[in-house]
Order: sequence, then structure tokens, then C-alpha cells
Amino acid sequence: MTRTLAAALTRPGSLDDLHFDLDVFDGPFDLLVTLILKEEVDLWEVRVSRIVADYALRLAESDEFDLEATSHFIVMVAALLEMKSRRLLSDGTLVDDEEFAEVEEAGEELAVSLARYTQFKRAADGLAQRYLEHAGRRYRGLPVPERFLRLVCDEQRLPADGLVDALTVLLAAPPAPDIGHITDLALSVVQELCRLRDLLDRNGHFTFAAVAPRDRLEKAVTFFALLELHNRGEARLQQSSSFADIVVRRRDAPRASGEGDALAAVG
Amino acid sequence: MHLLDLTRSLEALLFISPRPVSTADLRAACVADEAEFAQSLKELRNEYSAGRHGIELAEIAGGLTFRVAGACEAAVERLAGARRPDDLSPALVETLAVVAYLQPTTRAEVAQVRGVSSEWALSSLVERGLAEERGRADTPGAPILYGTTDRFLTLFGLPDLEQLPEIGSFALSTRETDELRARLLANAERRRP
Repeated sequence: MTRTLAAALTRPGSLDDLHFDLDVFDGPFDLLVTLILKEEVDLWEVRVSRIVADYALRLAESDEFDLEATSHFIVMVAALLEMKSRRLLSDGTLVDDEEFAEVEEAGEELAVSLARYTQFKRAADGLAQRYLEHAGRRYRGLPVPERFLRLVCDEQRLPADGLVDALTVLLAAPPAPDIGHITDLALSVVQELCRLRDLLDRNGHFTFAAVAPRDRLEKAVTFFALLELHNRGEARLQQSSSFADIVVRRRDAPRASGEGDALAAVG
Repeated sequence: MHLLDLTRSLEALLFISPRPVSTADLRAACVADEAEFAQSLKELRNEYSAGRHGIELAEIAGGLTFRVAGACEAAVERLAGARRPDDLSPALVETLAVVAYLQPTTRAEVAQVRGVSSEWALSSLVERGLAEERGRADTPGAPILYGTTDRFLTLFGLPDLEQLPEIGSFALSTRETDELRARLLANAERRRP
């Protein structure tokens, strides 16, 4: 499973501008471990930041992108590079000890992650070897002979005609369901709007529970009509608490005649 | 039961079973006492050890089963056709290794070890019957837990998960860890002119 950096290089020879075949790596940890632990190429001849950035971009465009894992990886690498850049200061002093401690901790976390990854990578190599040794072995794969079955459906083999008959039944379209018990609604929103408006004209107010039909669908139609009354500014709705009864009061003077006929024509 | 009869019964049970049989099930089927059963099993293991017959007795996936001896594979292949073992990519084997050693484990945990999303790899392993869902973790989000299957044990020639090499045996040595850390933290003074 391991590979050499030389094999991954797509344009060997010029160490100043290295290009890697990123597809050969199984993940960013695989890439980083190969860069760090293999010695074919001096690390200081390789711009680690560019390679890692290229790899992160490649991951983002692939099906193997995991935002959390990749972000975590980039944070660790960024901290590592910052630490390395700080050490380039000629006098070796650091501006902020606390900040450096955080950076060093991130670098250490990266080292631990890489070590852990390498451990499982080696375990995978061991499993792969084991697979090559054992996967080809043959075990009993034949079904138990019929005469040893405890349960036998039929003493004789099922004839082909019987199979066809059985399948024909299954392939036949089922009968259409009977929907005769489902009837059309007897109410319309326009009809309920007129009824509620008449109630308001006569009494000035009512409660929804008192005027709503028992049927759930019809009750919904009445509620829509009530909302339309409110939207038109003809009624005020009040409710003392959630799910309490709705008190409906007339907002304006009774409407002029003829308006309901126009609504009925629209409805 | 006479010892020879018991051994023959064991042989017949293992012959007829399409999958590995646990020693507990074998003993129950033979209705034998512990000492006689152990002796018969020992004789059977010896009789069907590698190199003696065209089939050999193997301990796989929590039980005992007969399998074709390696030396006879060619003849079996000519009769039964070539085997086509699963094509496991390095990414699948890597994911399988994490699941095998950390199970039951979540997809996020696998991704944390590998550094990449393992959703496709886990789905593929479940489709191939090498991994399975084992309920959900008792953590926020209740992520699915994954573990390996009996087919995993069979394909990798393992009697049980205890026979997997210790994960610690794959750890980096102290020298390797120090080298990793040193190369990560190496400063500019080592740069060539």
C-alpha cells in the first residue's frame, strides 16, 4: 500500500516545481505521511503548503470530501507551517508565548493524527495480505440436497404450467379500489362566506365552534371562509389562548346587497 | 456413544452443514459428554489436517467447517469454475481495518482516522456483506454504529475477532514517532544552500 514519492511525481527532475499524482494517495494523511517519512525527496525542497492545498482542493471536488475531517486537517497543517515559519526568525524569539503554545499543540496533534493513521494503514496492509491468502479458499457452497430438507413443499417437482399459472395471478392488475364511500363536499367556501356574513349581519358576533359543521373537511371549509371574512376587513377574530374558541365580531356596517352575488359568480 | 461413532457423527455434521458450526452446536447434535466430544474433535482435526485429504478442517467465523485443500484448488476450479473474490481497493481495506479494530464505530470516527469521508467506503462494505449496522450510538445525533460480519471473518480466514493481530503491533516505534515529530518540526537551518 505504500508508494514512493518518485512514483507519485508526474514531472520528476525539477525539484523546484514538483507535481504529484494526487490520485495515488488514499487521503491527506497518506499524502503527508509519505512526504514526511519517505526520504527520496528532501522535505525542504518540497513546498508542503502548496501540495496540501492542492490536495484539499482535489478532495473538495471529489465524493470523498468530508468537511469536518478536511477542515481539521487543514487547521493542523496551517498551525504546523506557522510554527515552522516562526522558527525562521533569526533571533529565535517569539512574539506571543501563549500563541506559540497553541501552535505547538496543533503541530503535536497533527503528529499524533499521522501516527494513528499510519498504525491503521499498517493494519490494513496486514489485512490485505491476509485477504490474498484466504479469500480464494473454497467452502461448502452447494445447497443441502433436497432429500435432507426437513420441510418439503411437494413430493413432486412443480410443473412449468403450474409456475405460469401462479405468476399469471401475480401479474394481473389488481381491481380498482371502491371509493363509493367517499363523497364530494356539500359545502363551498363561497357558500360558507355568505352564511357567516349573514350571521354577522344579524347577530353582530358568533363563535367558530357554534357555527362550524361537525364534519372535519366541512369545518376546514368554514375556517377558510372565516379567514376570507377577516382578510376583507369584515370581521375581527379573537382567541383568548392557543386552541381556544375563536370569537368573531363584525368590524364594519352590514354590506350592501349585490356583493354576495358577485362572489357566488366567482366561487 | 462409542468414540468412533461420535467422530463419524461429527464428520457427517460438518459435511452436511453449509456454514461453520460452533462446537456447542456440534456437541448438542451428538448428545455427547464433554470429554468424549473433545477427544473425537481432536481426532477429527488430526485426520483432516492440511495435506492428508482433499478437504481440510478449518476453524472459521466462530465454528468449524470443511474447505477445499489448497493443493486441490486447480481441479475444483476446472469443475466448478473460477472464483471471483471481491475486488477490495486500498481505500476499502483501510476502512475495513478501522471498522474491524474500533467496532462498533461510527462513520465520523472512521473519517477522523483516515482524514477523508468514508461514507462511500462504508456503504460499499455493507453491500458486500463485510460490514453491517449495529444500532446507533448514544451520543448527539445518534449516528449509526458499524461492525464487521461473519463473511469478513470467512474471507480473511479468521476464527473470530480475537485472532486479529493486536492493533498495538502496528504502532510506530518510538524511533519512528520521534522521527515523524522531528521532521514535522524541522527548522530552516537544515535547508540546503
